[in-house]
Amino acid sequence: MIIAIILIAIFLFGIFFYNSLVGKKNQVTNAFSAIDVMLKKRFDLIPNLVEVVKQYTNYESETLSKIVELRTKVAAGNISDAEKAQIDSQLSSSVKGLMVNVENYPDLKANTNFINLQTTWTESEEQIAAARRTYNAAVTDYNNSIMMFPGNLFAGALNFHPVPVLETAAEERRNISAKELFNN
Amino acid sequence: MQFFSLEGNLALQNVLSRMEVERQKIASTQKKGYFFIGGGIILAITGILMGLIGPAIVVGLIPIIYGGVLFYKIGDELQAYKKAYKRDVIGEALRFLDASLTIDPYRGILAQEFIYSQLFSTDPDRYKTEDLVCGKADKTGFYFAEVHAEYKTVTQTKNGTRTEWHDIFKGIIFVADFNKNFNGVTIVRPKDFGSAIGAWFSKNLFSFNNKDVIKLENIDFDKAFITYGTDQVESRYLLTPAMMERILKLNSNSKYSISLSFIESRMYIAFPLNRNYFEAPIFKSLLNPELLNEDITAIKFMYDIVKELDLNTRIWGKN
Repeated sequence: MIIAIILIAIFLFGIFFYNSLVGKKNQVTNAFSAIDVMLKKRFDLIPNLVEVVKQYTNYESETLSKIVELRTKVAAGNISDAEKAQIDSQLSSSVKGLMVNVENYPDLKANTNFINLQTTWTESEEQIAAARRTYNAAVTDYNNSIMMFPGNLFAGALNFHPVPVLETAAEERRNISAKELFNN
Repeated sequence: MQFFSLEGNLALQNVLSRMEVERQKIASTQKKGYFFIGGGIILAITGILMGLIGPAIVVGLIPIIYGGVLFYKIGDELQAYKKAYKRDVIGEALRFLDASLTIDPYRGILAQEFIYSQLFSTDPDRYKTEDLVCGKADKTGFYFAEVHAEYKTVTQTKNGTRTEWHDIFKGIIFVADFNKNFNGVTIVRPKDFGSAIGAWFSKNLFSFNNKDVIKLENIDFDKAFITYGTDQVESRYLLTPAMMERILKLNSNSKYSISLSFIESRMYIAFPLNRNYFEAPIFKSLLNPELLNEDITAIKFMYDIVKELDLNTRIWGKN
C-alpha cells in the first residue's frame, strides 16, 4: 500500500515536473518571438526614415546607403537569428549616429515626420530592450529549473538543455561616436 | 525641513491673522464646553457616591446640557472655519508652490476609481475620500486625494453577529498621466509573506487571474515588491531599469511601503499615512510658522514625484 502511494506520488511529480519544464521552454520560445516582432517593427521604420532624411541632407548619403543595405539584408529573409541580432545592433548604432548628426540640419530637426519617426524609434528601442529582458528572465527561469536539483537529474535525459541568455553586443556597449561612424 | 516660509507672503499672513481670531473664539468656546461637561460629570458622580442619586443627576445634567449647547452653537462656525482653512490657507500655499495647484475639500478619488486602480486586491465596504488636489507639473497632469478604504468582517457570536472594520488603505492616492503609451495592466505591490507565497503559486502551479508575476532583474526591486502584469514585455517597457531605481528611491523616502499600478495610460501610487492632512488646528496657533510645514511637505513631496520619476520626459510619442 505504502509503496503504491510512493509510486503514485513519484509518477505525479514526474508529470508535474515534465509539464512545468515544457511550459518554461515554451515561454522562452514565446519571449524570443516577441523580440522578433519588435525587431520587425523597428526594421519597418527604416524606409520612411531614410526617405525623410534624404530630402534634407546631401552629406549623410553614405550612412543612409549603409542603413538601406542592412535593412535589405533583413528583408531578404533566410538569415539566422544571430545574424539578425547582429544586423540590428549595427543598424541601431548607425541610426543613433544619424540622430546625433541631425543637429546640423535644423530644417530636418523641425520636420514633423522626422520628429514622429524619432519618437517611434526611441519607443522601439525601449520595447526591444523590454523584450530582451523578458527573454532573459524566461531563459533564467528555464535554466534554473533544469540546472537545480532535482531537475538536473532528469533534464538531460528528457532532452532539455540550458539556453544562453542574450548579452548586449559589444558594439552597443560602446559609446557612440558620430565621427567614427562616418569615417568608416 | 523648511520648504515654505510665511515671510514674504503677505496675502497668506493676512488670511492667517484674520482666521486666528476666529480660531481663538472657537477654541475658548470648546474649552468652556469641555469644562462644563467635565464639571457636570464630576458633580453627578460625587452626588451618586454621597447617596443623593436624584439631585446628583439633576445637578450634573444642567452643566452637561449647557456644555452640549455650547458645542452645538459653535458647530457651524467650526465647519466654516475648517472649510476656510482649506480654501484660503492651503489653497494659497498651493498657489505659492505652483500656480496650477488647486484644492477641493469636498472632492476626492471616487471609490470606483480606487477599485479600478487595482492597487489593492480587496474591494472596500466603506470608503471615505476628501481634499482633492489637482495640478500640472510642466507637461504632466496629476491629482491626489486622501482616501480611507475599509472592509468589514461579520462574525457570529453568542449574542448575535459582530461587525468589525479593517483598513484596506489609509493615506494618499496619487494619480499622474504616464509618459508612455501602453494597453495592459501592471501592478507593483509591496512584498510580504502572504503575497510571496501567492506569487510562487501563480508562477509555478496555477495562476488565479489573467496577470502573471513579472520577475524583474533588479534584485532590490524584486525584494521590495511583487510585480504582476498582463503582458510581460509591456511591464518591462514601463519598468525600465532607471524607472525601478526611481521607484525604489521614492519608496525609501516614504515611511510605509508604497504600491503602484499602471492602467489606461495613468500611473497610480498609494502612500499609506497615519495622519489626516490639511486639517485646521483648533488648540494650536495658526501663527506658528511650523504649522503649515507638514502639510506643505506632503504636497511638495507629491508635486516632486513627477520630477523624481521623470514623467516629463516625453520622447516616446506621447504628449
